[in-house]
Amino acid sequence: MDSSSVYIIIPSFNEAEVIRQTVEEVLGAGFKIILVDDCSTDLTKEKLKDLPVIYIRHKINLGQGAALQTGIQMARLNGAEIFVSFDADGQHDVNDIAAMCEKLEKENLDIVLGSRFLPASTTNISSSRKLFLKLASLINFTFTGILLTDAHNGLRAFNRHAAEKINLMENRMAHATEFLVQIKKHRLMFAEHPVHIRYTDYSRKKGQSLLNGIRIFFELILNKFFNK
Amino acid sequence: MTIIQLTLTVCLILIGIYMYTRLRSTLLDVILILLATGTGIFFVLFPDFTTQLAHWMGVGRGVDLLLYLGFLFLFFLIIKLYARIRKMEHNFTEVVRNKSIKDAENLEKKN
Repeated sequence: MDSSSVYIIIPSFNEAEVIRQTVEEVLGAGFKIILVDDCSTDLTKEKLKDLPVIYIRHKINLGQGAALQTGIQMARLNGAEIFVSFDADGQHDVNDIAAMCEKLEKENLDIVLGSRFLPASTTNISSSRKLFLKLASLINFTFTGILLTDAHNGLRAFNRHAAEKINLMENRMAHATEFLVQIKKHRLMFAEHPVHIRYTDYSRKKGQSLLNGIRIFFELILNKFFNK
Repeated sequence: MTIIQLTLTVCLILIGIYMYTRLRSTLLDVILILLATGTGIFFVLFPDFTTQLAHWMGVGRGVDLLLYLGFLFLFFLIIKLYARIRKMEHNFTEVVRNKSIKDAENLEKKN
């Protein structure tokens, strides 16, 4: 695997507290970073000064899905061969990236999805959050016909073919399900890969709440009817 | 003529005039406005007719018939509006995205 054509896309909104650490870890592993700042109101940009990061700023807050799509388009323009989506809040483990890219190439897949619930995964997840995510993956199944062990895992690796096919129209959080919808629609070859998620007090505070889950559910229903 | 009939008639005429000043572009617009205002005033002045119409359609009262039709119309309107909002949001996202990509910078080189 040639890591110079691997682009890590990090959508970020008000993560100044942890963003430098996240970015430095990824850079340390030798990957290129496209950071999409979704109109943060904190010091995100200042924190990243002097780091070799391609920095894109939305002039208006559009949502995580939109930021991810912007990052994908930028990576395509830069000639990326492998695209990796990575959360800004520091919950992902950089060491998983290489393994996922390797799996992508070796098994001739279009997209590898991170899962925190496979036998080899490690995570310090609470049981209520686990239940919530399991329920979410069942809901995803009813909407997409794809049954995964995990839902809303921000770590994914995909090839150029997938990046050219995928076009996220859901600007906010429903994009995670939209990924699955488009995998199905474009018949992309996919597999799950065990990843390590560390929940910190910070990421717990920032994470998905039940209320958000309900909101995502309604976004999905509307997406079903108005998807064009 | 009762007070409510007078109020509704005046309101309908005012709305008709307002629509006319906004949209007086084609003959069709004028005809449509006249037709809509006229029908409205007709039903206000002869409410028994709506009841007859309702009975004919199998509904008890004219007001109920209006309620059902009004509900359907509003529901249709909400769906149309929502679809339009989504389309606008999509266009707007494209504009912001293209501008953002054009303005992308490498933070290391800048300093």
